[in-house]
Amino acid sequence: MDVARTYGSYVGQALEKNPDRANALIRFGLHAESYRTGHFPDAQSPNAHQYLRHMAMKEVADVLGKPGQFAWTNIFAPVEILQCFDIKCISMECLASYLSGFWIEDRLIDACETAGFASTMCSYHKTFLGACEAGLVPKPLCGITTSTICDCNTNTFRYLRKHEGLPTRLIDIPHVWSPEGEEYVVAQLREMVSWLEGLSGTRFDEDQLRQVLVRENESKAHYLSFLEKRRTHAYPEALIMRLFMLFATHLSIGSEWALEFFRMLDSEIDAQPLDTSKRLFWVHIVPYAQPTLNEYLNYNENLTVVADDFNLDFVEQLDVGRPLHALARKMICNIYNGDFSRKIDAVSRYVQHYECDGVVEFCHWGCKQSCGGVQLLKRQMSELGVPMLALDGDAIDRRSGQEGQVKTRFEAFLELLDATGEGQACA
Amino acid sequence: MIGYVCKYTPVELLSALSADPVRVEPHVASFNEADAYMHPNVCSYAKAVLEDIDSRGYEGIVFTTCCDSIRRLHDTCKVLYPEKFVYLLDLPRKVDDASVMLFARRIEDLLQRYRQFSGHEFNRSCLIDLLVSQHAGKMRQKGAGQRAAERPRVGVVGARYSAEISRILNDNGVDVSFDITCLGAQRTVGMSYEQLEALDDHALITCYARALLEQLPCMRMDDVATRDAFLEQQAKRVDGIVYHTMKFCDIYSYEYAFIHSRFDIPVLKIETDVTAQSSGQIRTRVEAFAETLKTARGIASAAAPVNRKPGEKMYVLGIDSGSTSTNAAVLDESRNLVASRVIRTGARATSSAERVVQEVLDEAGIAREDVSLIVSTGYGRVSVDFADLDVTEISCHGKGAWYFNPEVRTILDIGGQDSKAIRLDENGEVADFAMNDKCAAGTGRFLEAMARTLEVGIEELGPLSQRSERHVEISSMCTVFAESEVISLIANDTDKADIAHGVHEAIAGKACSLLRRVKPEPVYMMTGGVAKNLGVVEAVEAALGEALYICDEPEIVGAVGAALIGLESLEGAQE
Repeated sequence: MDVARTYGSYVGQALEKNPDRANALIRFGLHAESYRTGHFPDAQSPNAHQYLRHMAMKEVADVLGKPGQFAWTNIFAPVEILQCFDIKCISMECLASYLSGFWIEDRLIDACETAGFASTMCSYHKTFLGACEAGLVPKPLCGITTSTICDCNTNTFRYLRKHEGLPTRLIDIPHVWSPEGEEYVVAQLREMVSWLEGLSGTRFDEDQLRQVLVRENESKAHYLSFLEKRRTHAYPEALIMRLFMLFATHLSIGSEWALEFFRMLDSEIDAQPLDTSKRLFWVHIVPYAQPTLNEYLNYNENLTVVADDFNLDFVEQLDVGRPLHALARKMICNIYNGDFSRKIDAVSRYVQHYECDGVVEFCHWGCKQSCGGVQLLKRQMSELGVPMLALDGDAIDRRSGQEGQVKTRFEAFLELLDATGEGQACA
Repeated sequence: MIGYVCKYTPVELLSALSADPVRVEPHVASFNEADAYMHPNVCSYAKAVLEDIDSRGYEGIVFTTCCDSIRRLHDTCKVLYPEKFVYLLDLPRKVDDASVMLFARRIEDLLQRYRQFSGHEFNRSCLIDLLVSQHAGKMRQKGAGQRAAERPRVGVVGARYSAEISRILNDNGVDVSFDITCLGAQRTVGMSYEQLEALDDHALITCYARALLEQLPCMRMDDVATRDAFLEQQAKRVDGIVYHTMKFCDIYSYEYAFIHSRFDIPVLKIETDVTAQSSGQIRTRVEAFAETLKTARGIASAAAPVNRKPGEKMYVLGIDSGSTSTNAAVLDESRNLVASRVIRTGARATSSAERVVQEVLDEAGIAREDVSLIVSTGYGRVSVDFADLDVTEISCHGKGAWYFNPEVRTILDIGGQDSKAIRLDENGEVADFAMNDKCAAGTGRFLEAMARTLEVGIEELGPLSQRSERHVEISSMCTVFAESEVISLIANDTDKADIAHGVHEAIAGKACSLLRRVKPEPVYMMTGGVAKNLGVVEAVEAALGEALYICDEPEIVGAVGAALIGLESLEGAQE
């Protein structure tokens, strides 16, 4: 961590004088990390996670070095279609997290707020916009987002269109599924496909998309199989892997490497011992730089996060025979779309099926869709008799980490879990 | 009575269903209930609606999927009020044939659901009547007479602008030329009664759905090109723009950043949270903005009464009634500073003002009746009932700074409960200003809280911080969180001098951020009580990379400015 911080201070200094130099330092840092995770992986980590971490680093390092050959997306964008054009997808939240890894999120957030953006906005978007204002963001081929959740999404992509001259598309996702709503999304996907054909100079091949969906279905089947085994088996992991998992379940889902990761995950758990830990279900994103949470949730055999809602937001098999309709349905029926009751039902199902002892929801600063429903989820968990902790904080801005509060709340929650459980001590 | 919260709501259709639609404009004192059911970080408007919903007797509310906070408000209302008609109308973000068709179907669903809920029938002629009369109304508005040419005019953008701001603008002689906030509805079908009557029900609703979607887009829509074009065109016609937003509503800040970078006209940013507590700050900002606009148009303030016998020397007294100190200054007709006084503000602003006036008159060696004019400024300016004129502290600090040093172009004023950045033009007039949000971060109150936590006197903080040898970062600027951060540092045996230095750096960071909002230029001046704290001054200078000019008594700058405005007013009246 100290190496990252020291390196980050060089990036920060470069940022003030020469954004191109800061950009080069960031790319070099990511390549170095990609090399390190490929050759000297974290020994505590299972093979599948070592592979995932390396690929997540490599994807971003490769992409940032090739402006014009990738796309900014949100986490729900139809990345399967972009794979058919050989366009890699990076979400702006993902880039913001990586920039925070260099300890420069504070400068970027300040730059964003100084330009007039609200301080109460999501800090992922503030970091990304601050990086744009500082000239730190490479220009991709295009930007594609959906209206699923997040007030900032539509506006940040519009900002890219207006200020950076980036071609962008918003896929407008109906709040609930209906036959005509599905057709509405399919029509937008068709239009997006021909737009991408024009931008990339490549013909779209629907069979290729079918192959991507076949791999996606296989990946999900492996993940659900892994989680079935996880009901009884342990699987050591660090909290940050919940974020890296988003590459496999979202940004690169359907790719060869993501499928390979899920295969490894599914087979590797067979050799793991039986799980005796207190089991948590996580709701919404994880804050990767929170010392208390890392202390308790990294490779702890007594306390583990079994699953989270983001990586299980749509688990149905896709209809490969109608690929665009399948993707439309996937986006509309996502648990992050629609009434909050949809998400509450899904979390309730998962918590019961995966036999979780408690639920933690992280209310990230600025994310109204998440914190706005936290009390409703708490009511439901209370009815199910499952203890739930709502943690307030900021997933990437260290200045708003509220470490003291997080520590007190989390430790009190663990005491509560111990009191309600059968006496198994937590860490 | 059915409440609604968004300009895209089919209000005319609800009227045609005899639903008595009412725009929800909550007035609440706190968010105690709403915070329990939602979360403190949800948009204040959404929370206020939740607080208000029971007391107003709505039989239901029609929401739209306009933003995340409203979506969650709908989810919460659905659980809390199962007996009410709580409906979420899914609003497309695109405007084309496909989205119009989809939206029309959703409006038809709303119609059916409300009929089932209420037993009311849909009055088709009523809907057509309303659509046609709205169209005619809009045409009439276009041809309506013009305002008085000399009154400055502004456009209002942002979220949920209240009638109170409109009233303060009007009271201060400013006209609102356009309102494109998220509740400013402007639909028109562009068809006659006969043409609409000839349509079948589905075609009529489709036509209506198109009119709703084709309004000037709000910032949650995908394509806002027509909105940008409207602003480009209007920015040339108005004297300034008022940007209003709600705490934790972020959507419009993208437009604020756009306006700020694109147009070279004064922009007033106001953030409120629906509660009445913010009204004092709003008044100061709106009045100061009106003064700036009128000055730019060359409109002088109303001449004040002259209270002087012929041949006698003229004195003018300025009082700055602040939250921490009450300050007074006496100037003579040659602009000489005859006397000044600074006292702590007690529990009542009026009695502190009385006391400071007596003390400054004693110091000047003159009697009350020798004073031709008294001008008040500061938060308590309206409470000073014996003042002849009241002017905002923004204008007064501008004038006062110019008096002490005409080279000054940018002023940083850190007072007890607010901080301000003011930019002056080459004539010493206020060109732009910004104030801190409704929060003690970066103000004198913040310093007081930190001094209390460190168990030192407020006046000791400056010298203490100058002994610092090690860098300590206070990351949170929230007074409450910073206090707990300082407590943790004390618990870790961190040197108090280092903590004090960290606190000053945190204030300096916040101050620089505020300064950048007014496009600052040197020479810089710092005013207000915090300018006496050398630790803060050094930290601001370091963060800014510029020296700060500070006059001998930085707390009287506002009072001197008030007296100067009084003198100018008297000179104007004599001319």
